[in-house]
Amino acid sequence: MLHALALAACVAMAVSAQKLPPTAGGQPDLQGIWSNATITPLERPADLAGKPTFTAEEAAAYEKQVAERSNVDHRSGNAETDVATAYNQFWYDRGTKAVETRRTSLIVDPPDGHIPAFTPEAQKRVQERRAWMEAHATDGPDGRTLGERCILWATAGPPMLPGPYNNNFQILQTRDQVVILNEMIHAARIIPLDGSPHVASNIRLWMGDSRGHWDGKTLVVDTTNFSDQYSFRGSDRNLHLTERFIRTSPDTLLYEFTVDDPTAFTKPWTAQIAVTRTKGPIFEYACHEGNYAMTDILAGARAAEKQAGK
Amino acid sequence: MLAPANAQNQAFKPPRTADGKPNLNGIWQAMNTANWDIQGHAAQAGQVVSLGATGAEPPGIGIVEGGEIPYLPAAAQKKKENYANRLKLDPEVKCYLPGVPRATYMPYPFQIVQSGKFILISYEYDGAVRTIYMDNPGPAPVDSWMGWSAGHWEGDTLVVDVTGLNDQTWFDRAGDFHSDALHVVERYTLAAPNVLNYEATIEDPQVFSKPWKISMPLYKHLEKNAQLLEFKCVEFVEELIYGHLRKQPSK
Amino acid sequence: MRLRALAALGAFLAPVWLLGQQSLPVTAKAAASTATAKNWTPPRTADGQPDLEGVWTNSTLTPLERPAELAGKEFLTAQEAADYVKRLLQQVSSDRRDGGPQVDVGRSYNEFWRDRGNDLVADRRTSLISDPPDGRVPPLTPEAQKRVEATRAYMRDHATDGPEGRTFAERCIAWGTAGPPMLPGPYNNDVQILQSSDHVVILNEMIHDARVIPLDGRPHVGPEIREWMGDSRAHWEGSTLVVDTTNFSSEYSFRGSDANLQLTERFTRVSPDVIQYEFTVYDPTAFTKPWTARVPLNKTADRVYEYACHEGNYALTDILAGARAAEKRK
Repeated sequence: MLHALALAACVAMAVSAQKLPPTAGGQPDLQGIWSNATITPLERPADLAGKPTFTAEEAAAYEKQVAERSNVDHRSGNAETDVATAYNQFWYDRGTKAVETRRTSLIVDPPDGHIPAFTPEAQKRVQERRAWMEAHATDGPDGRTLGERCILWATAGPPMLPGPYNNNFQILQTRDQVVILNEMIHAARIIPLDGSPHVASNIRLWMGDSRGHWDGKTLVVDTTNFSDQYSFRGSDRNLHLTERFIRTSPDTLLYEFTVDDPTAFTKPWTAQIAVTRTKGPIFEYACHEGNYAMTDILAGARAAEKQAGK
Repeated sequence: MLAPANAQNQAFKPPRTADGKPNLNGIWQAMNTANWDIQGHAAQAGQVVSLGATGAEPPGIGIVEGGEIPYLPAAAQKKKENYANRLKLDPEVKCYLPGVPRATYMPYPFQIVQSGKFILISYEYDGAVRTIYMDNPGPAPVDSWMGWSAGHWEGDTLVVDVTGLNDQTWFDRAGDFHSDALHVVERYTLAAPNVLNYEATIEDPQVFSKPWKISMPLYKHLEKNAQLLEFKCVEFVEELIYGHLRKQPSK
Repeated sequence: MRLRALAALGAFLAPVWLLGQQSLPVTAKAAASTATAKNWTPPRTADGQPDLEGVWTNSTLTPLERPAELAGKEFLTAQEAADYVKRLLQQVSSDRRDGGPQVDVGRSYNEFWRDRGNDLVADRRTSLISDPPDGRVPPLTPEAQKRVEATRAYMRDHATDGPEGRTFAERCIAWGTAGPPMLPGPYNNDVQILQSSDHVVILNEMIHDARVIPLDGRPHVGPEIREWMGDSRAHWEGSTLVVDTTNFSSEYSFRGSDANLQLTERFTRVSPDVIQYEFTVYDPTAFTKPWTARVPLNKTADRVYEYACHEGNYALTDILAGARAAEKRK
C-alpha cells in the first residue's frame, strides 16, 4: 500500500510536469542516457529501522556523512592497506545524492525496507552456494562472481541497481520496441511491445526474456525465462520480474521493479530508484577482452600452491 | 522488416515462368539455427574446447510448430542417446548427404532451377542435389539419402512428396532422427519477391506418435552475381575418417 | 595389384581397346546422324531456347585416342565398324566363369555392371579426339610431364599409405565421367540437362554433381577461387550451347591438365535423340597444343539416380585397413 501511494505520487508528478513531448510513435519519450547512481542503499540500514524517510536536513547530513565515509583517498597506512583501498573516489560513481523522495531505502515494499525472508529451499540453496564459492574461490572461474567472469554485471540485471561505477544506461524507442542499453557489459535488452508471447519455457536466458507494453504513461516490462545460473539476491529460475519506467520530468525517470519468485522469497518485494539524465556517451565496456584479473587470480592461486609445495 | 510469414494472408502475385508457373528460380537460404537444433534452444558451449566461441551453439526459437517433436517413448530415449554421442554420430560431421528436410536449412545456400519438366534443387552443402519430378514418376525405385521427390502445383504452391528416404540422416545436429518409413511433404510458396515460405510435414509412425510440421521463410540471395560455390567437403573429412588407418612412419 | 588395376581404370577412364573383326548390323542411329545437323531444327523450351533437356548417355565403344594399329585411319567403313564391334564385345566381356577364384576377383565387374555401350560413334571416327588429326592427346609440356610422373610415382609408392595415394574417384571427391569435360566411363554414363530462362544445369549421375551454369553473361569468379569442376559460364551461338570453364583447382588434373585449364564445351542437338558434345582443351602450360574431342550424347529413357559415393565408400576403408593388417602380419 505504501508502495502504491509512492507510485501514485510519482505518477501525479509526471502528469503535472511540464509538457513532455512524446516520441514519433505517440508514446511518452523515455529516450536518452540515464544514470541510476544514488547513495540510498537497497535495504534500510539497521540504525534507521522504523524511519522510512529523512527530513530535508537529515538527508543533507546523511549525504555529507556518506561522502566523508566513502572517500578512502588517504595515504595513511602501509602498502597492504593501500592495495585494499585501491578504488577511491576517482573511480567510484556512487553519486552523492539520496533519492529525491528521501526514502532511507530503495525498497518501498515491504514497508520495513528489507528483502523478505527466503523460503527454506532458497535459504539452503543460497547458503550452499556461498559455502561452495568460499571453498573453491580460486579453483577455477566458477568460483568467482558473474561480474568477475565478465558474463553478467549486476547493474544491468535485470533488475537494474546502482553499482560502484558506470551506472549509465541508454534508452531508445521505436513504436514497436524499447531498447535498454547498459554500459556494463554492453548489454542491450531489446524489448518487443507487439504483444508477442515469451519464448518457450525450455529456453533460459541470463537476462531473461522481456516483453513490454504501455499502461498509460508507464512502460511496463515483464521478464521471465531466467537461466538457472542467474540469481538476483537469491532468486531462482522462477523469477518473474516486473519493471516500470515513468518519465517524471525532462531530466528524471522513476524506475520501479517488483520481484515475484514464490519458490525463493516468501513475499514479493518492490524497489524504486530515481534516475537522472546524464551526459553521455555510453562507452564500450570490453570486460572479457580486458579480463586480466581472472587470469591473474587463478594463476596467482596456482603459483601460491606451488610455492606451498601442494 | 521481414515479409510476413503467414501464407494464408498473402495476396502476393508471384512472377511467372514462361509456362505460367510461379517462378521459384534463384538462390535461397534459410536464416535460422535449425540445423543446430530444430526445437527452441538457448546457446550453449561447443564440444571442442579449442574451437572456443567458434564451435559454440547459437540459440534459436525453433521451427517446430507446437514446439516439441512428438517422439514415441522408445524413440525419445534414442534421441537422448544420439544427442549425448552427436559428435560421433551426426552424419553431417562426416560430410554425408543431409536428407530432406535438413538440406533446406543447412547454413549454406541452395539453388532452384525450374524447367518445364523438372525442378532441380542444387545444395551448396556437399553438392547434394534433388530432382523434383513433375511428371508422376511413380514410387521410389530404391531408398536413397535425398529421397525420391514427386512434385505438383496446388494453386501457386509447389507441393513435393518425398518418399524413399533411408534412415541414415538426421533432422539436425541435436540427434533428432527418423526411420526409413519417413514421409515428408514440402510446400514452397512465394510470399514476397524475395521470400519463399517453406513448410514440411513429417510423418514416421515408427518414431513419432503423430505427424508434425516445421516452417520457415527462405530468403533470396540478392548480391550481384550470386552463385553457389563448391563445398564438396569429402576431402575435408578424410583425416577424420581415415586418419587412424594411415601408415605410421617406421620406427 | 588387382586393386591397382581397378585404380588405373578409375584414373584413366577411356582405356584403349583391342580391335575386333566380327560384323554387326549398322544401326538406325548411325543412319539418322548422317543427316547433317543443319537440316534439323531442335524444338524450343518454353523460354525459347533450343531444347537440350532430358537424360543422355555417352556410352560408346570408341576410345578417346586412336589405337596405334589404326594410325592414319580416321574413319572406319560400315563393314569395318561392324567387325570391330563384334570382336571387341567378345574380347572385353568378362562374364566368364573359368579361371578360379583369384581370377574371378580380378573380373569382379562383368557386363552386368558395365555400361560401355555396344556401338561405336555414329560417324565411325576411330577416336573421340577429332583434333589433332592423329586422334591422340598432344604431348605434354616438360613441366607437365614432370608433374604427371611425380604424381604417378607418388601414387605408386604410397598406394596404400593413406587416402592421398588413391584416385579422386576412389576417394569419392570427383568422378572422371563428370569432369568437366565429360567422358564415358565403365558405368553410370548418364547426364541430365535442365534449362531455365537463365541457367543450364548439367547433372552428372556420378557423383551427383550438378553444374548450375548462368547464361546471363556475368564474369567468372575471381582467380583466387579454384574449384574441382571449375567455374562455368554459358551462352548460345545459334543452336549451340557454348560452355566456357576456368578456375580449376590445382588438385584436379584431366589427362595431365593443370590449374590453367580453359575448357570449352559445345552442345548441339542434331536430332531428336542425339546431342553432339564437343570439348576443346586449352592449357598451354600442360599441353603443347590444344585438342578437341567429340562425344555424342544419346537420349535415354532412364532417370538419373542418386550416387551416394562417399556414404558407401567401404572400399577406401577396406583398402587402408587391409594394408595395415598386412603390415602387422609381417
